[in-house]
Amino acid sequence: MRRRTNRAWLGVLPVVLVVAFSAVLPLMTVVNYSLQDIFDTNTRIFVGFDWYRETLRDPRFLDALLRQFTFSATVLAIEIPLGILVAKSLPRTGARTGMFLILLAVPLLIPWNVVGTIWQLFARPDIGLFGASLTALGLDFNYTSDVLDAWITLVLMDVWHWTSLVALLSFAGLASIQEPYYQAAEIDGASRWQVFRYVELPRLRSVLTIAVLLRLMDSLMIYTEPFVLTGGGPGNSTTFLSQYLTTMAVSQFDLGPAAAFSVLYFLLILLLCWLFYTSVMRSAED
Amino acid sequence: MAEVVLEKVSHRYPGAQSDTFSNVDLVIKQGEAHALLGSSGAGKTTILNLLSGLARPSAGRIFFDGLDVTGASPRKRNVAQVFQFPVLYASLSVQENLSFPLRNQGWRGARLSARVADIAERLELTGCLKRRPDALSLFEKQLVAIGRALVRPEIDLVLLDEPLTAVEPATKWQLRRVLKQAQEELNATMVYVTHDQTEALTFADRISVLHEGKLLQTGTPADLYQHPAYEHVAYFIGSPGMNLIPGEVLDGVYRLDGCAIAPAPGLSPGPCVIGFRPEWAEVTTEGTEGPMVTVTRTRVLGTRGNRPVGIVSVDLNGQSISTRQTLDVVVGASARLKVGRDRVVGFREGIRLGSEAAHA
Repeated sequence: MRRRTNRAWLGVLPVVLVVAFSAVLPLMTVVNYSLQDIFDTNTRIFVGFDWYRETLRDPRFLDALLRQFTFSATVLAIEIPLGILVAKSLPRTGARTGMFLILLAVPLLIPWNVVGTIWQLFARPDIGLFGASLTALGLDFNYTSDVLDAWITLVLMDVWHWTSLVALLSFAGLASIQEPYYQAAEIDGASRWQVFRYVELPRLRSVLTIAVLLRLMDSLMIYTEPFVLTGGGPGNSTTFLSQYLTTMAVSQFDLGPAAAFSVLYFLLILLLCWLFYTSVMRSAED
Repeated sequence: MAEVVLEKVSHRYPGAQSDTFSNVDLVIKQGEAHALLGSSGAGKTTILNLLSGLARPSAGRIFFDGLDVTGASPRKRNVAQVFQFPVLYASLSVQENLSFPLRNQGWRGARLSARVADIAERLELTGCLKRRPDALSLFEKQLVAIGRALVRPEIDLVLLDEPLTAVEPATKWQLRRVLKQAQEELNATMVYVTHDQTEALTFADRISVLHEGKLLQTGTPADLYQHPAYEHVAYFIGSPGMNLIPGEVLDGVYRLDGCAIAPAPGLSPGPCVIGFRPEWAEVTTEGTEGPMVTVTRTRVLGTRGNRPVGIVSVDLNGQSISTRQTLDVVVGASARLKVGRDRVVGFREGIRLGSEAAHA
């Protein structure tokens, strides 16, 4: 008979340490900061939930939050259907498929600040191909001064950057559907819409869940590209949560409010992802 | 339900050097369960795709009840198909799956639900109509797929592509029974593709044996068993298979190891392959006629009266021969092989001597 011991716990110790130092401790530090008013390294006062109250009443925070939701909803509403459409129009097999997949992957490989720079140049009304073309067509396009133009450019940039991800995931999902499913639908007299609705969409469910989750989280955290492209302007019209947070923590050094903001931001993303995931899982069970 | 006729049908895949098969003539009668039997690569699935309209013949014509459907698409053809694994609409319930083909033809209301209930009843699926496919066993899923194929009452032809492959062996016979029963009750014309001769022999009214792109022979199970037109058919059908031993025809008599074993009236002399079923022959220690053989193995399959019966394997000059008989010989004994005189068949170059194919 072997003796029972608790030594197996030693086996999980490295993981516990890594998680503790990389996630739990930093997060707890932020929580700690969010409850204090910090003047310098030696002077700090416990203020309870004051910073949270202040943040939630801050009109600039609420504006940034609204902009953030609008942006995320807009890019998701474009990227998901467009990604599926691109995946469906790709040839399923053959020499060209590989080439298309590589081309699709290119935007995903470009560093995010470079994406911002590319679009900053591309959309310039004087020398950028996109901006100058619009100007040549007689349109008064200027993303640095016009709010709508800035938003259009930002959304276009995000769609260009990330639709490939949805398309690649959807392509993998579609490729897993075996030919007899299409043959059966054809024999059953299904329309093209029915084939999509009853054959393809159920099979895409899991990859689309992943795609939406990734795009939702990423778009809620977007920072680099708008920072490079518009710098949050004109005015604050393209200042999203992360940029406002950075301004607060780094430029103004308001550590307490910035920490409270961070915790709220983190909880918000967590909540949205949880809501989405559980609703998808629940409808899958029905 | 329709009578299906293939007239000189050939098929070649784009870019292929030769035809998958050529000049296939086949008549599948109205209400018949017809099996296409052959090993993989014989062209069975291609014929199925030609019948469903998923593939087009490169030559020849296909008729459903006299109507030329050669160029018609699957949805115009009024066929249904069951695949090797259960192909269902995962997000729809069993009831919705069964309704799907009917809905697409405009069925609604009480007429629709009555038909679906009837098919579910016949396939013993009534209990799971409300369930989703994920909640079903493989066996039940394949039943639903079969139900979806049978649900349209005016369907011309039901195609089954090795439908028992995915099902556990223990439930195969049950699925086959339900399928066969539904086929007979609904008077459905069915084409059943399989490589398993037992499945074909027990399911089909008639069987077509395919080999390397040729339709060798079409007939009832008994026909193919007793009168194979080709050596391959003789070998493929029956378990254990037919004994096929090199011998010769001389002076109108089949000779094995120099011994006359059966008359071969009117057949040209020369070497040939002599074929006989295990139950058409007997090994005995009595008598002095017939080739001398050595008993190598006996296997008991059951009893007749009080005597054990089974398979006797013997050796004739290095050739193994099986007989099905009472086990009154012992391993190692020398004995005589006796073959039923009228049952022996001879093959030359794979074709049966004296058959139509041999004259062609």
